Amino acid sequence: MRKPSNVILLLMTIFLGYLTLFPLLQMVKDTFTVHVSESIRLNKAPGEFTLSHWAKVLFDPSSLSIFYKPFLNSLATSLGACLVSLVFGGVFSWLVTRTNMRWKKILSTLFVFPYIMPSWTLALAWYNIFKNSVVGGVPGTIQAITGLEPPNWLAYGAFPIALVTGLHYAPFAYIMIGGILRNMDANLEEAAMMLKTSRKRIVYKITIPMIMPAILSTFLLVFSSAMSSFAVPTFLGLPVRYQVLTTQLYRTLNGINQGQGYCIAMLMILLSVAILAFNQRVVGTRKNYTTVTGKSSNISFINLKKGRNVISVIVLILVLIVSVLPLISFALESIILLPGDYSFDNMTLQFWIGTAEQNSIANNEPGLLKNPELWKALFNSLKLSLICALTAGTLGFLAGYGIVRGRGTKLAKLVDNLAFFPYLIPSMAFSVIYLSMFSTRHGIIPPLYGTFFLLVLIGTVKYMPFASRSGMNAMMQLSNQIEEAGEIIGVKWPKRMSRLVIPIQKSSFISGYLLPFTSCMRELSLFVLLVTPSNRVLTTLLFYYNEKGWNQYSNGINLMIVIIVLVINAVVNKITGASIDKGIGG
Amino acid sequence: MKKILSILLMCILSASFVFAGGSSETTSTVDLTTPMTHEELVAAAQAEGTLTIYTHSSRTTTIADSFEELYGINVEVTQLSDSEMIEKVSKEAIADLDAADVIYCQDGSRVYPELLMTGYVVSYTPDNVKGNIIDPQYENPLVWEVVNKVFVYNNENSSEQPLTNVWQLTEPEWAGRLQFKDPFSEAVNMNFFTMVTREDWAEKLAQAYKDLYGKELVLTTPNAGYEWIKMLYANGAVLGKSDTTIAENVGAKGQSKQLAGLFTLNKLRTAEAKNLALAPAYNMEPFSGFMYPAYVFITKNAKSPNAAKLFIEYSMTEEGWVPFNTMGDYSPVSYLQDNSEDPLTLTDWSSQLIYEDYQWCAQARADVEEFITSIV
Repeated sequence: MRKPSNVILLLMTIFLGYLTLFPLLQMVKDTFTVHVSESIRLNKAPGEFTLSHWAKVLFDPSSLSIFYKPFLNSLATSLGACLVSLVFGGVFSWLVTRTNMRWKKILSTLFVFPYIMPSWTLALAWYNIFKNSVVGGVPGTIQAITGLEPPNWLAYGAFPIALVTGLHYAPFAYIMIGGILRNMDANLEEAAMMLKTSRKRIVYKITIPMIMPAILSTFLLVFSSAMSSFAVPTFLGLPVRYQVLTTQLYRTLNGINQGQGYCIAMLMILLSVAILAFNQRVVGTRKNYTTVTGKSSNISFINLKKGRNVISVIVLILVLIVSVLPLISFALESIILLPGDYSFDNMTLQFWIGTAEQNSIANNEPGLLKNPELWKALFNSLKLSLICALTAGTLGFLAGYGIVRGRGTKLAKLVDNLAFFPYLIPSMAFSVIYLSMFSTRHGIIPPLYGTFFLLVLIGTVKYMPFASRSGMNAMMQLSNQIEEAGEIIGVKWPKRMSRLVIPIQKSSFISGYLLPFTSCMRELSLFVLLVTPSNRVLTTLLFYYNEKGWNQYSNGINLMIVIIVLVINAVVNKITGASIDKGIGG
Repeated sequence: MKKILSILLMCILSASFVFAGGSSETTSTVDLTTPMTHEELVAAAQAEGTLTIYTHSSRTTTIADSFEELYGINVEVTQLSDSEMIEKVSKEAIADLDAADVIYCQDGSRVYPELLMTGYVVSYTPDNVKGNIIDPQYENPLVWEVVNKVFVYNNENSSEQPLTNVWQLTEPEWAGRLQFKDPFSEAVNMNFFTMVTREDWAEKLAQAYKDLYGKELVLTTPNAGYEWIKMLYANGAVLGKSDTTIAENVGAKGQSKQLAGLFTLNKLRTAEAKNLALAPAYNMEPFSGFMYPAYVFITKNAKSPNAAKLFIEYSMTEEGWVPFNTMGDYSPVSYLQDNSEDPLTLTDWSSQLIYEDYQWCAQARADVEEFITSIV
């Protein structure tokens, strides 16, 4: 117990235990109790015990449409998304690390863009391009240009949901697989090459097995993210009434059968935990495979020869479509007066700089830059994201330190799991629980609802998984001997940290701050229930405009969020060398 | 072993927190009995100085601006969706927080049992409104405004109203041509579907079917209301995310097929500016759509109860009502009947539309929600 890492682990256990296990128990309880809105129908007093929620969700004729069908749809789209991410991100990372493709630097930077953007951006773009006469209105881009009507399966439902989600999370695959390919001992491949093994065989027999752990980690991350993604299926599923678990969760939590909603949330968590456990079993046994680093000599790039230009151009076009086109479309949509008309006469800056009187077409909402609400929300967003990044980043780093130093102990394993657990809880359910958990006094903890602190708290817990992962990665790379040397000559722990550990792995740690910041800036469902007038953030304002159908405003805010995040990431990267891609993979 | 024990202990500890469930009984700060003159109310309100409002409508902000200017009381307005409103207001009441003073809200089916019956909010009828309400159904609790959602069609190429009976919407000719907001994303739409399953409306629907086709409706569901919902969905009704978007989709010019939508009449205000061809379908059998109340309440822990009363009073004067002086918004107060761009008054509409009954909706909505989940 004398070791600082053990103290950290113990404190983390208490802190995370309270903030993650407690909500979980609350949720379990909610699946067995009558809520006020259900009391009339169930003919029981609120708070009474009931089994009817579980019965309805799992063992009723209507369970098919309440749970099983959406479940299968979620499974299908999430697996599809994993496939898309792995193929797109995997091929891209192979091209970048192993071939002589052109424009690698700029392509790598652009490739990570989709992750920085809110996930619905690509969905919105897809909708605008492929929509057909089912939803009516102004024709989609494809139909407008070619006159051909895209079929339903292409425009809405499973296919576009899986594809768009997969493209959104492809950066995960690139960062994790690319990270390993870059650090992998190239001797293995070179040895095979000397033995005249064919290129194809090298890829199958050496490269893929080596990157298998990264593939599985990507699979886990993408799968859980896709399972809990709400915005994309809402945009692309609704016109053909394609329901997945999150839309079903929203419907029940938003309707009057909340107990069923909590059951669905529980089942989603169970599924993610099962996948996590599977992942740990597989990756756990092959861990030593991946940490081969540092010896790499430069492997000779595969010469794409005649294909070089063609492949480079194709990749460039794809990346531009996914990363840059949405930005252009936001900018454009925020300045057109009438929807669908992109002529110059129809363009106006009134939604940016107009006064309330000039904007009668949008219920007299003043232009974005003239709107004090927007400035307040912008300030709040920045404040919240910075503080969350600082707390989540620091705590995550400490957790990572404790976990790696205490490796092998049960406590370390427990903290590892606790710190990752919030990632698996759907944001929407998480915030509902926090709302009820912190609106009354619990022991020494005063009611926190309505305070800025509560937003910081939930943000910190929810985004710690990113930071603890990158903290762990950084610590794994750092040999224990360095710290032990300090210990032997009697350097105290705080000084060991500030003089040895942190300076050596500075850029990795700072990367651990960037991910929480980025995620926080574009987070919506986590905060929407917990904000009060004085602490409204940009995304809640965006959501509001979007609900109202005031597209120019919501597109404008979207553009602002993306630009702010990009600029801040670029600045941090310039100054410290840290970057988002180092955060996840390392 | 120790570790396992300590983990177990922690679980039990946090479990005891969860299941303890603190209940706190408090009395309301709002005094509705002591009479006050307008001057006294203004003085008391100004002494309180600030006011916090939760609302479902963005236009409440405009009322707040003119109120602020008139009385010098600082007003903070937040817009919330229906379920957020209920979630927040009840949590604030339980925790005894003084967050909101006044709430403007819709969805009677949940507001009534969850906020009003629990005593978390109280209904207050200001003096200027007393005795001036045109129909008792708007009285208790006080209805601040009535909003209507009507079947609207694209009239670019048709001078004649294409829809006269709601059963037409279930015919192959109208397959995939009707759009409305997903009732799971807006409670009042769900309440509408709940209302059509009430016995009286179900009977009217059955009659309308007979009038149109000259034969009895064959039921596969509990009644004609359910049957209509089922056939509407089966006929490929398209669900939308917002009434604004639906109005734009239905009204866009140059479309090969004529679309119709069920959305708030308010969207016709900007139709011309947005170059949309939209017209309401009047006098359909047995209804042309629905109308629903928005309520105003004072919260039980209001820190500025007098400012709250003054604001409610002001919002129901001619001056305060100005932002709602539009198509699709109707005041239940007699002296505000002509203050609308709509040639039809609230009384005109109430004979054509289904009015939301919160008691029936509170009782039957769960069944209807489940029914719709099962047919989608």
